[in-house]
Amino acid sequence: MSTLTRTLKGLPGNIWSSIFRNPLPQNDVERSATSFTNFFLHIHPVKVHKNTLRPIYTLGLGLFSLFLFVVLVLTGILLMFYYVPSTAQAYNRMLDLRGSVAFGTVLRNMHRWSAHGMVAVVFLHLCRVFFTGSYKRPREFNWVIGVVLFLLTLFLSFTGYLLPWDQLAFWAITVGTSIAGYAPVIGEQLRFLLLGDVNVGQEALLRFYVLHVAVLPAILTLLISIHFWRIRKDGGLSRPAEAEVRPALVVSAPGAPVTVKAVALEPNKTYGLQGLVRGPLVKTGNVPDQSVFSWPNLLLAELFVFVVTLSIILVLALVFDAPLEEPANALHPPNPAKAPWYFLGLQEMVSYSAFWGGVGVPGIYVLLLMITPYIDRSTKGVGKWFSKERLLANTIFLTFLLVNLGFIVIGTFFRGPNWSFVTPW
Amino acid sequence: MRLALTIGALVILAIHGAVFYNQFFHDWERHQTAYFDQARGLAKTDAERAAVADRSPRIEQHIILNFGEERVDRCTTCHIASDDPRFEKYAHPLKSHPYSAALGDYQKGARSERRHKFSEFGCTVCHDGQGRGLEPEYAHGNDEYWPTPLLGSVIQANWRHKYDSFLKGKVFMEANCAQCHTDDNFAGTATVRRGKDLFFSKNCFGCHRIEGLSDGTIGPDLTEAGTKFKVDYLWESIDDPRANSATSVMPRYNLPSDDIRAMVIFLKSRKGSNLGETALQRFRLHQAGGAELIQTTVKPVTVAPGRERDAGENLVKDRHCTACHKLGPDDGGIAPDLTYEGLIKDSAWLQTHFENPRSREPDSNMPGFRYTTAEFGAMSMYLAGLKTLPSVGSPAETYKNLCERCHGEKGDGQGKIAIYLDPYPRDLTKAGFMNSKSYDRLVKSIREGIGGTSMPAWGNILNDQQARAVLDYVLTTFTKEPRRELKARTVPASNPVASSADSIARGQAMFVQRCSGCHGTKADGKGPNSVDIQPRPRNLRNSFFVNSLDDHRLFESILYGVQGTAMPPWIDYGLSNNDVGDLVNFIHSLNVPPAKTAQREVREGGSNAGSN
Repeated sequence: MSTLTRTLKGLPGNIWSSIFRNPLPQNDVERSATSFTNFFLHIHPVKVHKNTLRPIYTLGLGLFSLFLFVVLVLTGILLMFYYVPSTAQAYNRMLDLRGSVAFGTVLRNMHRWSAHGMVAVVFLHLCRVFFTGSYKRPREFNWVIGVVLFLLTLFLSFTGYLLPWDQLAFWAITVGTSIAGYAPVIGEQLRFLLLGDVNVGQEALLRFYVLHVAVLPAILTLLISIHFWRIRKDGGLSRPAEAEVRPALVVSAPGAPVTVKAVALEPNKTYGLQGLVRGPLVKTGNVPDQSVFSWPNLLLAELFVFVVTLSIILVLALVFDAPLEEPANALHPPNPAKAPWYFLGLQEMVSYSAFWGGVGVPGIYVLLLMITPYIDRSTKGVGKWFSKERLLANTIFLTFLLVNLGFIVIGTFFRGPNWSFVTPW
Repeated sequence: MRLALTIGALVILAIHGAVFYNQFFHDWERHQTAYFDQARGLAKTDAERAAVADRSPRIEQHIILNFGEERVDRCTTCHIASDDPRFEKYAHPLKSHPYSAALGDYQKGARSERRHKFSEFGCTVCHDGQGRGLEPEYAHGNDEYWPTPLLGSVIQANWRHKYDSFLKGKVFMEANCAQCHTDDNFAGTATVRRGKDLFFSKNCFGCHRIEGLSDGTIGPDLTEAGTKFKVDYLWESIDDPRANSATSVMPRYNLPSDDIRAMVIFLKSRKGSNLGETALQRFRLHQAGGAELIQTTVKPVTVAPGRERDAGENLVKDRHCTACHKLGPDDGGIAPDLTYEGLIKDSAWLQTHFENPRSREPDSNMPGFRYTTAEFGAMSMYLAGLKTLPSVGSPAETYKNLCERCHGEKGDGQGKIAIYLDPYPRDLTKAGFMNSKSYDRLVKSIREGIGGTSMPAWGNILNDQQARAVLDYVLTTFTKEPRRELKARTVPASNPVASSADSIARGQAMFVQRCSGCHGTKADGKGPNSVDIQPRPRNLRNSFFVNSLDDHRLFESILYGVQGTAMPPWIDYGLSNNDVGDLVNFIHSLNVPPAKTAQREVREGGSNAGSN
């Protein structure tokens, strides 16, 4: 009897502790264990460098992007319950979302503004990484993945643009895909592959839908995982080199393979798998360093970014309604027909030269971005905003950035009917 | 950090509160609750009480499959009393839909029955608007993007408020009645019928195509005007065609607002297809085209031999030529005066002009009407017989009578029909031009007219003396500057370069390089600079004009420029006589040979002339 009572009494506690292996951590050992034993937390290192937590250093942009993606996935899945990728029904479904589906307006608004936000924030994240020189060794390939993630974000947003099947969607995609058609040799085929037809129609809607809800999110999720994995394996976020220089550190000779550097730190220790991690971040024992425990420091920071992201998106969703124009009509192009804002820079360039503006220049940009870490091999100036050592690289990047922003601003605000110059005031 | 987190969490909580509030406290629920309360009070019988007893707010909808695409009409969610006759005197949205004999409603015992039951017809079939919306802004179409807002009861957010007062009223509903009631004589669509009659009596059909009715090509196709355009846009476009498109060539008819309303309602009823026709009928309409289309409405007239002139007079009157032209006291204010046509043109000219207006005036704005050859013949005969001389009074009166309609009261080429003419009438106040031409040449222009343009030859009306008197009047009243001696110019009397393929090729190269900026690469006077130039650069493909000039004049205009216009003296830019010879040969190569324009049988003169 008493056994049963004891069992029953202990039941809630037992269930709880079987799910959460650790109590709320009170000391360093428990803090480590919490990070290590929780599925959702073990992506975090047990300890992070203080520099990682400096808001002014990262601005939380990577996390912003991630949380926007999470918001997009969740709202997107809910929207999928109502959406039908058919030219006959898509627009009516939009009207239903706006009119009679519970929380339909808010869901659609959140999805829309998060999508625009993600394009912007991912790009800002890319700028942050460049201006702090964080793409340098050993993070070169993670930078390349990041560039691919940016392109995927653009494409994901672009494919979603068509789905409401209103005039805005139809003509933005018509313009956007015709830019793809300017590619030499394969241009027209590429366009046909995207649209499944010579014009934007039912086939295009279906293809964009599948890309938007299945293919691209899957690829994006995979690449995000690799992106994060590599951050851990590359020793956390980049930071200024001086923080690493400690008297005890034995730097291996240049050119020598970076093998078990950590052994040199404290020779009387043995190492397991962790010793294989590259880079100078392997921490064992209670080495005096600049790192703090992830629990609660990193987690609070992440929670903070999440709360800010969600607040901003919710406020936007409450205040601004996602646009919905007339039903798509292939016979009545608006004048001017404009691509989504992030492609307006391209469209503006296309108005000067179809090939160079639409394919040549953007192709060169992407190529330059991707090979940047393999050209810029100097390891100086890493982990510092606008460091003096990187004046040249930052200036070049800033110039390209401003020029393209300028094109986007011109394309968005200064182009009227027939793509002639107008002033917005 | 913790404070910021708390604030953030509170923001999220607050917004969730707002979202949930919006979600669960709808206006339509309030309307429905009010209706149930009222209905319970009004219930007199057990059946009535039972009907409202267990009702609670919910979205009401009619799904209509019989009228075009599937319609989901949720209008009765707010307009929940629309079918409850007890709510006749209530305010919207709890007002019941009126019962009226005009709608076909009838009495069945003590009850009124609807002919158009909401469960069968829905709401948007008749009223337009967006049946799926549950907020007034969206459902009624105040949403600026919604293409078919409620007909005749709301003002849209972006409507042009200038026309506000015209755009309301039940009469607009007829546009949708006509979707099913396609019989022209149906009493309920009298305004649509009136608009259709106006479409023909104002000769709109000459320019505009409406599938199954007309096949004009000059103006936009109006087959789907009812779905493309909102009422405000239609109203504005009829009232002031240039309000939206500055380059519109559509005449401004100055119609009374009743006529505009009828036309707007008629156009609003043109939705490409209507609900009364079958797929087979649509197919037949597609296949039908050309004259037979018009002839279903504008019935052809048999012209009795020997009675052509009378028949012509009736036709000119019945076919509403004075919707644009002037004829005696009737003045459409858009096209040239036909009062003295017999003294200006002969019947052959008129006949070719009727059959293809651009065959004689390559830039004519006149639509080609698809009447029968016999009808055109009769009309030509009648017009060619109008030979009554005007009473020629003082030069000032003559100018007012004959010239002012084009050249304007002030002689500045801004007469009331000037904007519909291409090329524009000459600005007689430009001393630079007037004084660079010899007196005799100006008299010649008056008496012999200008080929290929709307300037007629007044020689049969004004004798040499009268023409000179009018010219003197123009020079003293409008040009004002005293005439100067013309400087002697060395211009070859005839083209020194013989026309050859080489010469034409050289001429073309030079034309593209030097002239195409204004005259256009096609030499049709529509180069990129032409829009900013007054008078407009010449259309050099206008064979009737080009062939009316001898080489001497072409050389003079090119070498020494045309004063008072943008044409510069090319001799200053180093063109030699031989260069100009090449240019002249090139220009001639674009046009039909003079021998052909001299013969009046030419049907396709200047066939390549500009599209407008």
